[in-house]
Amino acid sequence: MTNYEKYLNVFVESFSVSADDAVNLEYQGIPEWDSVGHMGLVAAVEDTFDIMLDTDDIIDFSSFVKGKEILSKNYNIEF
Amino acid sequence: MLQGKNAIITGARRGIGKAVVEVFAKNGANIWACAKNFDDDFEAEMVKLAEKYKVQIWPVYFDLLDENQIKAGVSEIKKQNNQIDVLVNVAGIADESTSFVMSPLEKMKKVFDINFWGGTLLTQYVARLMMRNQTGNIIHISSVAGIDGILGQYEYVASKAAVNGAGVRQLARELWQYGIRVNGVAPGIVETRMGGQISDSLKRETLQHVIMQREGKPEEIANVVAFLASDLSSYMTGQIIRVDGGM
Repeated sequence: MTNYEKYLNVFVESFSVSADDAVNLEYQGIPEWDSVGHMGLVAAVEDTFDIMLDTDDIIDFSSFVKGKEILSKNYNIEF
Repeated sequence: MLQGKNAIITGARRGIGKAVVEVFAKNGANIWACAKNFDDDFEAEMVKLAEKYKVQIWPVYFDLLDENQIKAGVSEIKKQNNQIDVLVNVAGIADESTSFVMSPLEKMKKVFDINFWGGTLLTQYVARLMMRNQTGNIIHISSVAGIDGILGQYEYVASKAAVNGAGVRQLARELWQYGIRVNGVAPGIVETRMGGQISDSLKRETLQHVIMQREGKPEEIANVVAFLASDLSSYMTGQIIRVDGGM
């Protein structure tokens, strides 16, 4: 499984959405991605990629696209 | 009392932290014993304790003044994939007593940075891991100084008052939704290196106001921490227990 597939899968499983919907998701764009859902997403991302996100990155993680950018830029995860 | 629980304990090298490690081990807890710097004696002591009480003790090293080290320390703990049940924030410092008007800001900030912000950052990382399991137990070692004040220790009093207000009372409110309890223990004068920094005259004067007329022993503080870490205190959160011989 590629890193992109793993990342996509985290969203699909965390929020029970389709892959097509996942790529357009934004924080608080759906009821499931509220502050509680956000911490669940963070936990899933951390476990999937074996990292610990900085608090600033957790705050900045505001969409599917932004999250991918953060992981790539700050945690050397290649997509 | 703590059989099967896994606990992170900071300030494990000496004083109250060391006593907490021993009491927790005695009661069956596995421990991440956190200290600032690696040394062979500390490692050997932890191995000895682990063998004596048939528990696991993993030394972890990080400096509470260094954000990256704190994060690396928690990452190391996380990699073991053991549920973290308890965090005990013991590590802290007190500088020599000086008059408020003669206290340089930098000196005061350093005490506050270690006693409050260092513990806060560690708690933030660990709470995130506890939240996943919807359970956890955080215990801060505060001080009666944070409640009553103490002469010549403006920054220490400020840092411990912050621990009481934000670290204990505020966090207890915020973290219970994730099943995490937060409490504090406020020791009085204790037979530790930090207790030894109090001038003899001030110590004598303070002890006159202690009902039991003596200093506390580190293990007497550790026993209360163990109670708070156990299920015996399951209906307690947001509390600061004074362990001060009656001040």
